[in-house]
Amino acid sequence: MEFDFAVITDHARFLASGVGVSLLLAVLSGATSLATGFIVALLRLYGPPWLKPAVVLYIDSMRAIPVLVVLVWTFFALPIVTGLTMPPFFAALLGLTIHLAAYAAEIVRAGIESVRPGQTRAALALGMSRSQILLRIVLPQAIVRMLPAFGSLLSITIKDTAIASVIAVPELMRQSETVAGQSFQPIEVYTFAMLVYFAMLFPVTRGVDLFYRRVAHLGRS
Amino acid sequence: MIAENNSGGRAKGTGATIIRYRGVVKRYGAFTALDGVFLNVHAGEVVCLIGPSGSGKSTLLRCTNGLESIEGGDIEFEGTMLPRDERALRAVRQRMGMVFQSFELFPHLTAQQNVSEGPRTVLQMNQADANQRAAALLDKVGLADKAPNYPSALSGGQQQRVAIARALAMNPDVMLFDEPTSALDPETIGEVLSVMKKLADEGMTMVVVTHEMSFARRVGDWVAVFDAGRIVEQGPPRQIFDAPTTERTRDFLSHLGWSG
Amino acid sequence: MTLDWGVVWQNRDALIKGTATTILLTFATMAIALPCGAVVAVLRLYAWKPIRGLATAYVEFFRNLPLILVVYWAFYVLPILTGFGVSPLLTGLAALALNVTAYNAETFRAGINSIRRGQVEAAMALGMSRVQALRRVVIPQALRRILPVLASTWVSLFKDTSLVSVIAVTELAYVSMQVRAQTFRVLEMLTAMAIIYWLLGYPQAKLVDWIQRRYAVTE
Ligand SMILES: Nc1ncnc2c1ncn2[C@@H]1O[C@H](COP(=O)(O)OP(=O)(O)OP(=O)(O)O)[C@@H](O)[C@H]1O
Ligand SMILES: [Mg+2]
Repeated sequence: MEFDFAVITDHARFLASGVGVSLLLAVLSGATSLATGFIVALLRLYGPPWLKPAVVLYIDSMRAIPVLVVLVWTFFALPIVTGLTMPPFFAALLGLTIHLAAYAAEIVRAGIESVRPGQTRAALALGMSRSQILLRIVLPQAIVRMLPAFGSLLSITIKDTAIASVIAVPELMRQSETVAGQSFQPIEVYTFAMLVYFAMLFPVTRGVDLFYRRVAHLGRS
Repeated sequence: MIAENNSGGRAKGTGATIIRYRGVVKRYGAFTALDGVFLNVHAGEVVCLIGPSGSGKSTLLRCTNGLESIEGGDIEFEGTMLPRDERALRAVRQRMGMVFQSFELFPHLTAQQNVSEGPRTVLQMNQADANQRAAALLDKVGLADKAPNYPSALSGGQQQRVAIARALAMNPDVMLFDEPTSALDPETIGEVLSVMKKLADEGMTMVVVTHEMSFARRVGDWVAVFDAGRIVEQGPPRQIFDAPTTERTRDFLSHLGWSG
Repeated sequence: MTLDWGVVWQNRDALIKGTATTILLTFATMAIALPCGAVVAVLRLYAWKPIRGLATAYVEFFRNLPLILVVYWAFYVLPILTGFGVSPLLTGLAALALNVTAYNAETFRAGINSIRRGQVEAAMALGMSRVQALRRVVIPQALRRILPVLASTWVSLFKDTSLVSVIAVTELAYVSMQVRAQTFRVLEMLTAMAIIYWLLGYPQAKLVDWIQRRYAVTE
């Protein structure tokens, strides 16, 4: 059995464009999930009481349904409901955001709840308003504690972008499938893709580990 | 041999030597934690190790039961050198009880189970006998009613007394205490010290690292002052506390506000 | 737009079979990944150094790959490695097991490492051997921390089984999309698929919450 990695160099440009799309999709959906997650968490914690059950249902449902299902439904079924077709990239961005925002919301909530109630009481005693307390006292402390979890969420996001290949987003996974199919050299192509994904993901998880150790250490004193 | 000569004036110094440290050296990488320690512990004696933080007192205890290996000198226990072989070392550890500053009770076991765990797993005692022994020892440390409690439902002082019972359950010849009261509230220190005093009165051989100078003075038969990995002075408590012969000892005691 | 939900009922047999395969895959993967994960964790912690390195490399590699890529890779590589054709189901199972084993190994390792050193010393001071200390003192405590993580790994695994649909394993996602392609009832079939996953996954997610509350480590 012989391997010929020339197939990679022959399609370098095509594969590189896939890497670009993967990174773009990961960064964009990471950002939108984070923003949406913040809003969802604040609604869950401080929103009107009648809204809370709906928010909890949304979060728990996303924990129960596979990303693949959310992506496929968003791309194929949602346009039937709305009557608007979406390009694959946009559908992927929307689907990933719907899914990952629920996880982001849980991280934000856990972070906020980890701040001791005494902090809020102390701020109330100073005469601060609820929103002042949240912005000036609670969030600054909570965000540091959320950072490692956000890092893990980023690595999950990068991994989940590969699933967008199922709805034909031209990201690395999809481009690799195409090259593998055309060249009849799936092993070379997929092995290469593995190395590229590893190179994207490892620094993120390592960084999270290192940061976590640092924070945990500081937290102990 | 400083230590050998120093047994003059030693109340229980006539008992057999149970532990003999001869020039013990312990290094962590380039750092020398113990730099030639000489000390004898006789049967029935309470030997107190005092000295500033980082001077090597805990390290000496941990070397005594082989939790740490030594780089130089030797440690003799009941007439034979401390073995290096893990299995033989285990047999030695069974005859030395150890009490830790942070208690180290097993949190997934009740007080009773903590005490019976050693007899059960190490001595292969049957359940009924082990339970009986545990009950008797908990009674001895004044905690008969706390037998079913998990450590999280005990105060610090109670936890440390359970830890003492756990060590006693192996019927040790020697008890090693590493700052047993340093993690405790002032109110609960007394209950642990009085259990230790009772043990001493029963004739238990004890090596106690402590910052409780009044305990060392009242209960100790022999006091060794550590500094930078060495014993700078040793003798009966009256000598150490009332007429220290070295500058180091005087410094250390005056830092603690001890006016001799 | 006319909807025909009857299509879901007409294809109930296929959907039920697909659901059964999804559940079977989840159980089979965990049945492999629990013992294998434990072995890899022990190798990582206690084995001879080069073996330790290998185990670590394995764990880090698979934790840093998209599972869907591992599925494709297994699909093309396993036949070559083993020399004979492997059914899609077994290929999917292998890919899932490789992935979850790595996660479980990390869970076990972190759980064991989370127990203070003093606990082992206290056990050894009683005369216990290292193995006894591990079995009687470390593992019972570590389990409390490991169990909640395993529970959430379980739910992730349940959801991840959908990814083996890309190599035509006839589990729930694949079956649903097949029926969609045959009947063109896209909205009905995809919604039915989502609802079936939800019905199965929601109680599991709630169970995880309960386990995490029950075993919350307070320090
Ligand atoms: N595992 C280790 N690795 C490196 N250095 C160590 C280790 N354990 C102890 N040391 C060092 O050895 C020295 C002696 O430590 P030891 O714990 O014996 O001090 P101590 O006299 O018990 O102090 P304290 O009163 O604070 O408990 C210290 O400087 C410590 O930093
Ligand atoms: Mg110490």
